[in-house]
Amino acid sequence: MRVVVILGRVLDPGGITVNRRVGRIFINREKYILQPADRCALEAALRIKDSADCSNPTDAEVIALPRGPLPDDDVLRQALATGADRAVYLVGSPAQADDAVMARVLAATVEQLGGADLVLTGATTLDTGQSQLGPRLAEALGWPQIVDAWAVRAAGERVEVVCQNKTGYVIHDADLPAVVTVTPGSLKPRYPDGVRLVNVYKGVGEIAAALEQWEVADLVDAEFLKPLLEQRGRDFPPMRERGARASGTVDEMAQAAADALYRRVSR
Amino acid sequence: MDFTFSPEHVALRRMIREFAENEMAPLAMELDREKRVPFETLKKMAKIGLLGVCFPQEYGGMGAGETGYCILMEELGRVCTSTAVNVGTHIGIGATVIYLDGNEAQRKKYLTPLARGEKIGAFVLTESDAGSDAAAIRTRAVRDGDHWILNGTKTFNTNGSYADILTAMAVTDPTLGARGGITAFIIESDMPGFTVGTHENKMGILGSATAELVFEDMRVPHENVLGKVGEGFISFMKTLDMGRLTLSAAALGGAEMALEMAVRWAKTRKQFGVELAHKQSVQWMIADMATEIEALRSLIYRVAWMVDTGQPFSQLAAMCKVYGSEIASRAIDMALQIHGGLGFTRDFPIERAFRDARISEIFEGTSEIQRFVIASNIFREHGVRIRP
Repeated sequence: MRVVVILGRVLDPGGITVNRRVGRIFINREKYILQPADRCALEAALRIKDSADCSNPTDAEVIALPRGPLPDDDVLRQALATGADRAVYLVGSPAQADDAVMARVLAATVEQLGGADLVLTGATTLDTGQSQLGPRLAEALGWPQIVDAWAVRAAGERVEVVCQNKTGYVIHDADLPAVVTVTPGSLKPRYPDGVRLVNVYKGVGEIAAALEQWEVADLVDAEFLKPLLEQRGRDFPPMRERGARASGTVDEMAQAAADALYRRVSR
Repeated sequence: MDFTFSPEHVALRRMIREFAENEMAPLAMELDREKRVPFETLKKMAKIGLLGVCFPQEYGGMGAGETGYCILMEELGRVCTSTAVNVGTHIGIGATVIYLDGNEAQRKKYLTPLARGEKIGAFVLTESDAGSDAAAIRTRAVRDGDHWILNGTKTFNTNGSYADILTAMAVTDPTLGARGGITAFIIESDMPGFTVGTHENKMGILGSATAELVFEDMRVPHENVLGKVGEGFISFMKTLDMGRLTLSAAALGGAEMALEMAVRWAKTRKQFGVELAHKQSVQWMIADMATEIEALRSLIYRVAWMVDTGQPFSQLAAMCKVYGSEIASRAIDMALQIHGGLGFTRDFPIERAFRDARISEIFEGTSEIQRFVIASNIFREHGVRIRP
């Protein structure tokens, strides 16, 4: 079983202040974290590797790839430290590469790797709220896709995915190979292993050699690297609505809260 | 001169901070209230290699060096002093003494399980009549063929009640005194004659256990002599130098936490119509705390770098300990003052930090002993030998 997991980074929300009045985001501390949803995808991949569902756990391999153009390979090193077996850093992705471009680049990378059984990535990004990478990649590879997974089990020729709908949880399954996107907050990610972490960042030992560098130019022709998206400006989402104050008896207030929640969920 | 942390140390700090905030911070208040040792946290730390952070990978450690260990202690000190003390005793003195002076067989047999966190370590020194004056110990070890027979009572042993591997100092030749007459022994807690006595009822660090240990005709094999017979005192003093540095890193963490809490409170608390942040009296306290913390951080990581590069650091470690413990107490005191009456309640972590910080000025050498170490080094350079 070969699982590819696609990871990106995002500015730590704890280090920024949003000022609506002047319409700017102030970066107080420039610190990056793994995209939370991607981190859950990595955890899902490592759980598949750990699980006995795989016919032979030693055959399971987790390969980390970058979600977008990255200035450094830190997210891939984090993945290796946490338990990924290999990582490929893509050099030369255009700085403006959007999900459409990255889907082509990543599809070519997966083919170059010699295929995979399962591709996992985050269902959405924390900063831009994009959810397109998984579906576009599935399209580019011609594989089935399942989005917003809460848990992923892969065995034999099938992948089984727990998703949430309005009333509860449902299980979807698909033939392998497939693309599955994982919901942020769905799985508690594990911590990196100390020894792997030191070796992978120091660049010593076997694990450090597991980080490869590939040129994007070798994978995709330049004409396919033109982004679909164009940034024309920046705006803030509308202010959140004010809450309402419930009154009456406890039962009435509880009913009002339940109605409001139901309206919110079914909106 | 390069003051930047290496990439592995940056990544290590990120990992430890996340661990501390997710796994330790929610427990800190409960440990203090219930006077409970966080074994579950220690197990989780062992799993990711944190209990052997500074030891080479060949002995089951992580290989992050003394700098990595200081990072660990700083981050643990930020959220829970009790856990930092448990870990500091286990790594900083309990396992370090075996790493420094153990032979290859002892390192393989005892250091490896300690570094992997499979066993817990402790360091057994103090006696009721031998605290600062460590050479005045009375625990006796008498040779009997291939064994030594130990008799005596040790006090104030952190981790002592549940440690598996302990290193203790005992008198082997009363005529020779500290140099030549004291030997270090590696003890396993299941050796016959080893008993745990009373537990201390402490003011702070309530999430750590401090116990009395009694050795009664305890037979320790000769192969468990650490270093050479008669050189135990030197081993222990060398180990304490390392321990002092990392304890001050934990104190640094405590001071940082106090500063963070003070800033957060000053941003939100309003008096006389404005936030405390706009009051000069508060601004100056914050500025003083930040300045002292920065000075301490520079000192600690310079000394950690000296340890990692094999330079002598004994005097500087004493400076770290005295400066670090006093700055932490002062910073926490100021943070409590900024919090006002609420800081004095048990609902705020400042109160716990205040009680926890006090011990740093006492254990592993009181501030007075540290000042003596510093002064004796200075006078020695000028040809004067002073006595404690």
